[in-house]
Amino acid sequence: MRNVMAVVYRDALIRLTSLTWLFFDMAVPLLYLLMFGVGFNKAVGMGVTMDGAAVAYNDFFLAGVLSMSCFGSAINQSYGFFVDRDNGIFYEFLTYPMTRGELLLGKMLFQCIMALAQTALTLTAAVWLLNVPLNITLLPLTILGVMAGIAGWFFALSIVAFRIRRNDTFNTVINVAYFVLMFVSSMFYPLDAVPLWLKYLSYANPLTWHTDVLRYLTVGIGSGVVILAESAGFLLFLLVSFWFAQQALKKAA
Amino acid sequence: MTAISVQKLVKEYPRPDGGVLRAVDDISFTVEQGRIFGLLGPNGAGKSTTIKVLTTLLPPTSGTVLINGFDVVTRSLQVRNNLCVVLQENAVEVFLTVRHNFLTFGRFHGLSAAQVEKKMGRVVELFGLQEVLNQKPIDLSGGLKRRVQVAKMFLVDKPVVILDEATTGMDTFNKRATVNAIREEAQTGRTIILTTHMLEEAEELCDSIAIINHGRIVAGGTMDEVKKMGLQMFYLTLKFNEIGKELQELVQKFAPVKLDIVDNQVSVTVREHHTALNILSLAESTGALKHFEITTASLEDVFVELIDRKRAQEGR
Ligand SMILES: Nc1ncnc2c1ncn2[C@@H]1O[C@H](COP(=O)(O)OP(=O)(O)OP(=O)(O)O)[C@@H](O)[C@H]1O
Ligand SMILES: [Mg+2]
Repeated sequence: MRNVMAVVYRDALIRLTSLTWLFFDMAVPLLYLLMFGVGFNKAVGMGVTMDGAAVAYNDFFLAGVLSMSCFGSAINQSYGFFVDRDNGIFYEFLTYPMTRGELLLGKMLFQCIMALAQTALTLTAAVWLLNVPLNITLLPLTILGVMAGIAGWFFALSIVAFRIRRNDTFNTVINVAYFVLMFVSSMFYPLDAVPLWLKYLSYANPLTWHTDVLRYLTVGIGSGVVILAESAGFLLFLLVSFWFAQQALKKAA
Repeated sequence: MTAISVQKLVKEYPRPDGGVLRAVDDISFTVEQGRIFGLLGPNGAGKSTTIKVLTTLLPPTSGTVLINGFDVVTRSLQVRNNLCVVLQENAVEVFLTVRHNFLTFGRFHGLSAAQVEKKMGRVVELFGLQEVLNQKPIDLSGGLKRRVQVAKMFLVDKPVVILDEATTGMDTFNKRATVNAIREEAQTGRTIILTTHMLEEAEELCDSIAIINHGRIVAGGTMDEVKKMGLQMFYLTLKFNEIGKELQELVQKFAPVKLDIVDNQVSVTVREHHTALNILSLAESTGALKHFEITTASLEDVFVELIDRKRAQEGR
């Protein structure tokens, strides 16, 4: 744990040196929520239909915002490996007395701590400004869900960052992947309303699993069994990614 | 006690054409605790590759490497627990102040902020970093960045210190400071491996060395042993008021390795100690000798000679 905390300490110092970065990190999910929320909520009018019931778009989209910001945080944090590589400190890290897993866990944990503040801001805005009926009793699970999302995506993207050694290539690959993953997911629209092929594809996407779980936890949409299966699926995705990220890191020098 | 043991180390890199490049080819050496060991060789010899295997950055293709008894493959965490390293590439936190660089480095090596602060004074003074302690390396010169990177090694007391061309980019003054710091550390019982292109640095610091070329050791042993491998040479520089024609013939009789006469200056290279002295007394007997100088072969000469020999052997 001492080593994991050393990584957190280091990342915190780095982040604190850039208040601009810190600000945008905090503000981005809020912006997503307000821009998409206000815009789409107007455009979609009476909201979307889920399991035969009408749901306000803001309520529906809150989970999308949370999962989107998890993915965004994970991109930022995994991109940090390129910055560290450019400064050479990345290789020195690998000679420090800690395991590869501890380095990854520390980076993940730091991003999760950041996410606590992000999530608090986003949820507060959702409840106060957009009147989203947030399920307060499930709040601890929502926070856990956000952390799991960051961990899963951070580990997965780290594998890509370690394998692709060029940041320009990484950027392109991740941008395209992100776009496709968002499109083929339940982030923006209920999957009942989309063509069958897209629905099947979307259910093979961890982003859908994560978003669905968060949607259930925040506003109670979704059926228990499906959500349970999706939670298990995402957890498996997280663990497998963590394992492969460690392997990729061992070969990253 | 043996601190570092490298046995039959081989490291291959994949090549784009599908083949392999054998960067380190069957290297063996050991370093006793508290000693300074130098790894020398031209660009691309395999020095940094060896260092990367020693520091668990790269797994060996074959062979065994033990650091304080721990195998770099099976006990990599314990190995890292026993060492700290200055890699050839720069490695500093450019966005953190020099002080924070020290604090984070210390924390990674298990030191509290208070412990680091306590040691920082001496290290900062040693490397002349007082003025820049609160600056970020992104704003510092290349040599200063390197000093920050090297200074970190002296904050922690890991038993093995590995330095891959640590003094690169430093000015003479700071090179000297680094050399002195390294020597002091060895005296406290830390084992040091360094690679360098600065041959006088190795000559000055190392108890033993290995000279490698194309991934193979071409010569190795204690500093004295290496020098004595029939590679010993003496350089005489003799300045005369005037030179008679017969002098060249007389010196030639000693069969020197090299003889140059320019104006009134004679430069002779010979292998034997007594030959050097005989030539000197011959010069003295002319009555016109104005100035003389005798120097012995530097490691650089030994190195060039060794590589030449090796090439000759390989018929190139
Ligand atoms: N990651 C790599 N992939 C492929 N080949 C490599 C890699 N790193 C080094 N090499 C090759 O291995 C050989 C040894 O390189 P190495 O960096 O160990 O040399 P060196 O002795 O440290 O040289 P220098 O004095 O220039 O630092 C060189 O031919 C180099 O091109
Ligand atoms: Mg090198």
